[in-house]
This record gives sequence, structure tokens and C-alpha cells, in this order.
Amino acid sequence: MNGLTTTIHWLRARAENVIALLLLSMFVTFLLQILFRRVLGWSVGWTVEWVTIAWLWGILLGYAFVVKESEVIRLDIVYSAVSRPWRRAFDVFSGLVCAAIFIITMPAAVDYITFMAREKTAYLRWPFHLVFSIYVAFALSVIARSLFTAWRGFSGTGPHAAPSAESHDYD
Amino acid sequence: MTDPFTLAILLIVALTVTGLPVGLAVMSGSFLYMLFKGYDPSLATESLLQGLFNGYTLLAIPLFILAADIMNVGSLTDRLLRFCQALVGRFRGGLGQVNVVSSVIFSGMSGSAVADAVGMGKIIIGMMTKDGRYTKSYAAAITAATATIGPIIPPSIPMVLYALVSEQSVGFLFAAGLLPGLLMALSMGVMNWIIALRRDFPVDDTVPLRDLPRLTAEAVPALMLPVILLGGIYGGVMSPTEAAAVAALYALLVSVFFYRSVSVPQFYHALLGSARSTAAVGVLIAGALTFDYVIAREQLPKTIAAWMDTMDLTVLGFLLFVNILLLVLGCLLEGGVILLIIVPILLPAAAALGIDLVHFGVIVVVNSMIGLITPPYGLLLFITANITKEPVGRIIRDIVPFIVALLVALAIITLSEDFVLFLPRLMGYEG
Repeated sequence: MNGLTTTIHWLRARAENVIALLLLSMFVTFLLQILFRRVLGWSVGWTVEWVTIAWLWGILLGYAFVVKESEVIRLDIVYSAVSRPWRRAFDVFSGLVCAAIFIITMPAAVDYITFMAREKTAYLRWPFHLVFSIYVAFALSVIARSLFTAWRGFSGTGPHAAPSAESHDYD
Repeated sequence: MTDPFTLAILLIVALTVTGLPVGLAVMSGSFLYMLFKGYDPSLATESLLQGLFNGYTLLAIPLFILAADIMNVGSLTDRLLRFCQALVGRFRGGLGQVNVVSSVIFSGMSGSAVADAVGMGKIIIGMMTKDGRYTKSYAAAITAATATIGPIIPPSIPMVLYALVSEQSVGFLFAAGLLPGLLMALSMGVMNWIIALRRDFPVDDTVPLRDLPRLTAEAVPALMLPVILLGGIYGGVMSPTEAAAVAALYALLVSVFFYRSVSVPQFYHALLGSARSTAAVGVLIAGALTFDYVIAREQLPKTIAAWMDTMDLTVLGFLLFVNILLLVLGCLLEGGVILLIIVPILLPAAAALGIDLVHFGVIVVVNSMIGLITPPYGLLLFITANITKEPVGRIIRDIVPFIVALLVALAIITLSEDFVLFLPRLMGYEG
């Protein structure tokens, strides 16, 4: 169990490195794009493509492996007002329903993504099924986390973390 | 009750209330709709993936978050506050006015109210409560209230979110926010002045006028950022998205070379923090994109337009309804949720009534920002409560007058399309 926890921590730290690097790469690519387009007057297309891929991956990968329970956007008002047995019931309900819906829709999503193998991105010529494959990791993580929430409610091993408002700096 | 759309909405509400992250609740509801309708659920997945992949304008969001994070790590914020204190700190309730003016300047550099409150909150609240000059709850209240200006004066992350759902130009939306943002500042400045007289707040130590040139010079690199941003966007040199990258670069360069205050680990920390926030709001956007598909499939715009015809609603009646609805919802939901999930349902009706959608955008963004300071769920209240360690209840009592001031500004913004659209029209907006 200890080995597993260490591995999970190690993996999360690497995922953190990756999303920080993705954001850095977006930042640098944008600056290059301004240089190419506005200063040198070249027309470039790969920059737009790379930043959108980094954005897509940053969100889905980041949500799957980095974002903590306290950072996600949720409505806590009812959840935090009800008694503990109710919270446990809430966790079981929301966890099971969400997991079930993502499990049921998973095959269709995989079909769509494999189908996209025949199309390539316009500039980098990357097959779309690779670009979109991160959705599978995202959905699997949603399923695992939802089942964990349901299990926590079922076994009574603690409610989810209180949200931290500071991390919501997009509002 | 067996209508799949109604069921989807009910499921979204049920999952949200029971504590599931809002983005996932919306996705679940959208998927359920697809399943019950017998549609291929991957169409909603496609809408999500293609929407994110083609959402070039949205890329301004991570970069504006990054820019604000860098400014807060570096001492840009610090210098700005000292400059504002020298400028307006000499009047009764002066630190309250410093709070208002610094929020206005900070608004021109960052696109987020939360980033403004986090960035300036600690320092300005510290300044105000030193020697017990102002109560902690008043300092917390005015800091939270003035932070709402952040996303009204450009740049603005919420305006980018609205641009996504309404297909309006980010540039015109940004321009439309400037005057309303200044109006909000004015209304809060007046309120602070009235309260300062009534509660007999102290006159603060004035910064000697001979220090003003030095403090101004120190703040100039920070003060230049809004000029570069707006000049760049409206001079046609760069797109709003590129401007976000330039803002981040500028904040980084100024912090590193001018103020010598950002280390490599701090920069990494800013990158990671911004990437986390991006992922959190990104999943909400992803949920909105799947819901978008459902709205289109359900032909909701048509249905609503037809319903509006039978209702015989006036423009004013509708806007009043929207304001009340959003203010109520704002007590419960955060801004991003309102803009991405609720507003798309209202947009077809606004369009059917012939309401200008840039004007409408400013109204809904101002509403969603007021929602950040209305109890019980107000992110900005939580942040300033956390800084001051005051109970939220006490801050709420002190923030009520500022909510009133903001509602007055909101009423003017709602009623006067010409006021809101003055700058966009000057820049060639035909609306």
C-alpha cells in the first residue's frame, strides 16, 4: 500500500511538471507567433495548432491527474449544510450516477476518437486520434474518482475537502 | 416529466446540489439527454473536444491567469499600492479611496476579480487595519467589493467566457466594459466617502508631496501595462489572446529586471498554479460545450423565441427579469457557472428582443461579479475573510452599502445602452 501511495505521489508530481511545461510552451509559442506574424510578417499556422493542443491537453490531463478536490468548481451550499449521514448519501448518489454515465458513454467516445485516426491536423499533420486520446484518460479518471467518492460515502471515510476560493482566479 | 431535456436539467441540478463538480454534472446531464433521445453520445464528446480544440480565443484565459500570478509574486502590486496611497490617501477615508483607485488600475492589468482580491487584498487590508484605523471587517468588505471591477475594466476573463457563448467580439466587449467599470468605481468611492463621514474614519498620514515623483517613477513600469495592453489590442497590433501573452511577458520582465523579485521556483509555482486554475475552469468550459450541443439539438433558441412572442415582454421587463434572476443565482453560483451555463439559455431571448448582445454581455458580467460578493456563496467574501480571519457574517454587514452602490451602477448600465456602447461604437462597432 505504501509503495502504491509513493507511486501515485510520484506520478502526480510528474503530471504537475507536464501541465506547467504545457503552459510554458503555450506562453513561449504565443510570443514566437507575435514575433513571426507581427514583427517579421511571416504567416505561421503551427503556433495556433500547438497552443490549442497544449490547451486541450493541459485541461484534460490537469483535471485527471493534478487538480485537487479542493480546487474543483462545485456548489457546496447544500452539501456543507446537511448532516453527515446526508453527505454520505449525497456522495454515494453523485459518485455512482456520474461513474455510470461516463462508463456507459465510454465505448461511443472511444469509437469516435479511433474514427478520427483518418484525419490529421492542418499544419503539424498529427493524427486527430492521438490529439483527442487524452479524453480517454480524463474519462477514466472521472470514473475512478467518482467511484472513490461513492465508496467514501458508503464506507464513511470522510467528506470531500472544503473548497479554497483563492484557486478560482478566473472569476 | 418524461421529456429528456427536462430530465437532463433535473439531473444536472441534482448532481450539482449533491456536491459533484459542476462541470461533470453538466456533462453527465448532457450525456443522459443524448442517451434518452437515442442519439449517439459521442456527438456530445465531439462537441467538447472540437470546441476546446477550436477555442482559440479561450487561450487568453490561462495567459491572463498567469500574468496576474506573476504580478502578485513580483512586487508590482506593492508599488502600485504605494503610488495610489500617495495619490488619494490624503482624504478622509483615504485608504478606502486608495483601495478603489488601486482596484481600477489593477483591473487594467488583470482579468480576474479573484486574482485582484488575492493579489492586493493582503497588503491593502494590512495597511487599513494597522493601528486599528479601520475595522477588519470594513477593510475586508471594501477590498472584496472593489475587486469586482477587475473583470469589467479590460482585460477580462469573464468577458472571454461570454464571447465564447455569445459569439461576440472580445475586442468590442473589452471596450464596452471600460466606462461601466469606472462608473462602478465612482459609485463605490462615493459610498466610501459617505461612510467615512458617518463613521468618522480617521484622516490618514499623508505621503509628502515631494515623495510623489519618486513613487510615481517606481510605479511607471506597472502603470504602463494597461497602456500597452489596450494600445496593442485597439491599435490592431495584436489580438486579445496575444495581448494576454504580452501581459504575462511584460509582468515577468518588469518583475525580474526592474524590481528583481521573481525567482525560478516562484515562476514555476506561478506556472503550476495557473495551469491548475486553467484545468479547473477548463472542465467547466468542457461541460458548457457538451451542454451547448444539447441546447442546439433541442432547438432551444427557436422555442424560447416563440415563447417570448406569446409573453409580450418588453425589453425593459426582460432586462429587469434577467438582473433579478442573475442576482439571485449569483448568491449561489460562481461567475463562471453563470456565464457558461445560465447565460446561453437567456441569450436567444435577448437576441429575439433585439437587445444588443455586447450591451447584454456587460450587464450579465457585472451581475456575475456582484454575485461574487453576495452571501451566502461569494468567493470574494471567503477570500477576504480568510485574509482577515473575520467571520463572513461581519464582513457581510459592512459590504451591504457597497452592494447597494453597485446595484445603482448596474441600473445605470442596464438602462443606458448608449453609455455602455459609446466606446465600442467609437471603435467601429455597428450596434
